[in-house]
Amino acid sequence: MKRFLKTCLLLVLMAAMALGLCPGTVVAEDAPIEVSIWYSDNPTLPFMDSWLALNTTAEIAGLDVTVEAIPSTDFATRVSPALNTGMNLPDVILYQNTQGENASLALNGRIVPISDYSEWTPHFNAMVEKLGLQEEVDQLKLQDGKRYFMPQLFDKPFYDGGLIMRQDYLEQKGFDAPKTFDDLYEILKAYKEDYPDSYPLTHLVAPYVTYRMTMPSWGVSFGKSSSSGTGALSYDYEKGEYFTGAISDQAREYLRFIHKLYAEGLLDPEQAAPIDNDTWATKMATGASMATYAYYDQIGGVEHASEIEGFKLQMYPSLEGPAGAHHQPKSKTGKGILFPIETASRPDFEQLVRAIDEMFFSEECSTIWCLGVEGVTYTMDGDTIVYPEEITSSPDGIYKTLQVKYGCGADPLQLVWINEREMTKYDENYAQINKTVAAMEGGNVIQSIPPTPLFDDWTAEDANSLQTPLADSIWIWMDAFVTGAKSLETDWDEYVNEMKALQIDELCALYNEHLPK
Amino acid sequence: MTKNAPAGVSIQRNSMLRRYMRRHWVLYAMLLLPVLYYIIFKYVPMVGNVLAFRRYRPGMSPFGTEWTMRYFERFLRDPMFWRAFRNTLVISVFNILVNFPIPIIFAILLNEVRIKPFQKFVQTVSYVPRFVSTVVVIAILNELLSPSSGLVNRLLESLGMEVIYFMNEPEWFRPVYILSETWQFTGWTAIIYLAAITSISPDLFEAAEIDGAGRLQRIWYVTVPCILPTIAVMLIINVGHMLRLGFEKVLLMYTPANSSVSDIIDTLVYRTGLQSQNYSYATAVGLFSGLIGLVLVISANTASKKLTGESIY
Amino acid sequence: MKRRSIGAGNLLFDVFVYLVMFFVLFCCLVPFLYMLAVSFSGRKPLVNGEVFLWPKEFTLDSYKQIFTYPNFFRAYGNTFLYAIAGTAIALVMTSLMAYPLSKKNLWGNRFFTKMVVVTMFFSGGLIPNYLLINTLRLAGTRFAILIPFAINSFNLIILINFFRSIPEEIEEAALIDGLGYFSILWRIVMPLSTAAVATIGLYYAVFFWNDWFNSLLYLRSDQYPVMMILRNIVNGTMVIGTGEGASEKTTIAISIKSAVIITSTVPIVVVYPFLQRFFVKGITIGGVKG
Repeated sequence: MKRFLKTCLLLVLMAAMALGLCPGTVVAEDAPIEVSIWYSDNPTLPFMDSWLALNTTAEIAGLDVTVEAIPSTDFATRVSPALNTGMNLPDVILYQNTQGENASLALNGRIVPISDYSEWTPHFNAMVEKLGLQEEVDQLKLQDGKRYFMPQLFDKPFYDGGLIMRQDYLEQKGFDAPKTFDDLYEILKAYKEDYPDSYPLTHLVAPYVTYRMTMPSWGVSFGKSSSSGTGALSYDYEKGEYFTGAISDQAREYLRFIHKLYAEGLLDPEQAAPIDNDTWATKMATGASMATYAYYDQIGGVEHASEIEGFKLQMYPSLEGPAGAHHQPKSKTGKGILFPIETASRPDFEQLVRAIDEMFFSEECSTIWCLGVEGVTYTMDGDTIVYPEEITSSPDGIYKTLQVKYGCGADPLQLVWINEREMTKYDENYAQINKTVAAMEGGNVIQSIPPTPLFDDWTAEDANSLQTPLADSIWIWMDAFVTGAKSLETDWDEYVNEMKALQIDELCALYNEHLPK
Repeated sequence: MTKNAPAGVSIQRNSMLRRYMRRHWVLYAMLLLPVLYYIIFKYVPMVGNVLAFRRYRPGMSPFGTEWTMRYFERFLRDPMFWRAFRNTLVISVFNILVNFPIPIIFAILLNEVRIKPFQKFVQTVSYVPRFVSTVVVIAILNELLSPSSGLVNRLLESLGMEVIYFMNEPEWFRPVYILSETWQFTGWTAIIYLAAITSISPDLFEAAEIDGAGRLQRIWYVTVPCILPTIAVMLIINVGHMLRLGFEKVLLMYTPANSSVSDIIDTLVYRTGLQSQNYSYATAVGLFSGLIGLVLVISANTASKKLTGESIY
Repeated sequence: MKRRSIGAGNLLFDVFVYLVMFFVLFCCLVPFLYMLAVSFSGRKPLVNGEVFLWPKEFTLDSYKQIFTYPNFFRAYGNTFLYAIAGTAIALVMTSLMAYPLSKKNLWGNRFFTKMVVVTMFFSGGLIPNYLLINTLRLAGTRFAILIPFAINSFNLIILINFFRSIPEEIEEAALIDGLGYFSILWRIVMPLSTAAVATIGLYYAVFFWNDWFNSLLYLRSDQYPVMMILRNIVNGTMVIGTGEGASEKTTIAISIKSAVIITSTVPIVVVYPFLQRFFVKGITIGGVKG
């Protein structure tokens, strides 16, 4: 009896094991790969782990994702010590590039050179080819000829911000839409005459935002947050090299124009850095200002709130200056996915890279990151994308609703951006402006970001120590020239000499020497 | 111990030490955990200060890769550093001159308020500004002092005066900074002095009253002497910390026009060191400021010991 | 005559004191009331610059937006935990150190005090601290922000100073009565220094309440205190990037920022009135002597 029972038990056990093992091995192969990810969390669009886009793409790629949502303001502070020491790191960090410190970290072996594993990222490679971005992606290689992250890809740069003006005023006074900066000047002057207490052109955040968006029409970009990132140098797109933009004749011409606006009371004298978003909105809504350089998605809020009758804002394409009509340069690649070197020691590193590649760059998943899941967040009517009523009628607009509720279009997560597809999320007007801008200047209104010189960490330190005092002084001089504290006619030479004393030429030479060939 | 001390003395000393320890070992036992804490959490990381003399390369050894003095040389030779140093010093001195006495006066006056609920109310309200984040303090300042829409300038205008651009003009930077500190921290710092006043024995006040002292006299002859130890200690600490200004606030108030007076050591380090992640440079400057702070606190301590008999060690 | 002049002087003095107090009240209350009004106001009057001390177009939208922030209440709970536990640990550790060091004739006293003072001026910097906390395996645990800040040198020195002001006779009497040092600290010194301990406790509580930096470096996002979220909301408006495509699209309204400040401030401000009972005169030295 006992024996029989034992045999039975054994049999049952064996059966159970057999049954358990077979599916067990299958499950092990299919078991989602666990991966931890750091995400830069923007407070206006807070991260939720229930996001449809996140969960659908993770499932498709076979990943079990744990996301740490780190506040965007402090994201860099969190990432830097972790990468420096290799402690307390995730498998994947989103929203990273290899500029500044990360370049040194990469060269010193703290980051996986993902370009070495190109055969594991077929989806990324295909997408780069499809969008024709091979050249741009190659530009991201560092001094050692390797690329250390998988960037965001844009087929066309967006014209998401620019000159915004009171259309109702233009219509009322019979002005045409401005084409050149002289047109702008006439409009601002007329407004000042009508409302002597006003400062017609105001800034968002700080004057440098305005400068940055307008300067390229003079063929330069210098000062705070200029396109070269040095504050002192500009890039000559024809010659393909840097020049000392801050002390060039173009710079002087540009400052003359801005000073004219300032001197005639057409430019807001407010300088203190964070010009609050609300202060800015108040100025526009109350008519204290009528023009600004800002972003399109901010128009709605101001229009809604203003009590001025007929109040209407419109965004205009870039204006023409001496060097043509240009907006601030933008890259067709953006921040993207980075693997800390520790991740490479995982036994399933290959599967992980392949899965991440699929989750963010495959045709299927990148569509989900933009539009969501078909049948839930949108439907196709032939070739047209149709959003359901609950999304189109939301007061936040399609773009924001899709992001807040479903996670589509979150900057760190969506890595493939097709301009035309994105435009379906906005109104006709915005799409139209983008089309106009794309057609101007042979499609070159928004120039690409100048190439980053290939420094090793020692040279980078040298470049930095040259650059900081230069950027400081230029910032101060620029302000003095604009406000008239220094004269562009009589003090210009002193300024140029000071910059030369601060070795602006040496910095320029250093940059040109290290340009990627 | 003198070289030729007879053996007996040393034995005597040892036995004295033993007796001392037997009586007081509990006090040392109390110190055990805190001292361990200081060693682990404060002294061990200080090893990192070698970075001031070593070249730090991101991602390589956290204690640097090779010896160098270039970071010290760089800032000691940099005229911008000395300008920042001077600015820091000037703002600090004014800040202590204004913001050290004000909380003491406020605490003493608050103690003189005889309607107790009102006193409590003022006390609670007075330290609320401590909790308003710097970003918002600056936003409020910008709004109040704006040349185009600010309340203050509208007031000036209505009085027929010129509009002043407070946040941009170099001569206004220091007053605005110091007064905003007053606003933020007076009530908060006063709490310490209030605690000290609270500990004064009421007998002393009664005695003074019996002697016919008026209220001002009572303040002068009872309150002030009784809280003098606290004042002295606070002053020593404050002098030592003089060079530490509200970095975030200065950074937010920093404009091209006022940079000649508003660039302090911390903002310079931020631009040259931390923004470009140059840890070695930042460490070198930090070490330098720390040394100055230490010298200041030692001088203040010695001076205070001589003048008031109070010291922190 | 003399009496009356004192009376008149007294009155004048009282007037002066109350004037000062009302001035302080005004300075401290107005910005706060302004923020309160803003946080309850609608977008329209705000953008048109019409709100001053009273809300216009009353709305709770700002608060709704904060309270529906994912995990907001869990973060709030974390903050309470850190503030209470952190303060408790800190008070114990600080008192344990302050008491022996308050004895001027304790052998080694000056050495230990100097050791403390030095730490007020030199620190290791970010990377060494990061290495330390991670090596001790504190990262990812709540202890990472409770233990490393157990003693603040500034608070310690203040407390030493207060302990020193207690008359030595009281302690000597207790020693003769056969009490050990631990009992003296617990049963005599601490009760005699309630005002000081309450002050230090408040200082610690506020430190733990406001700290975000260490939470950022060492905690997992489910352990974040509410300050992390609030800071992100308030500062998120200032993404001042440099170089390429830097963006400062700032869409957080001042009403939300104000609501954030009020939400984060009110609980810790309310603590003080409760602490104030420790500031009642006479329970300290007078009580014992009597």
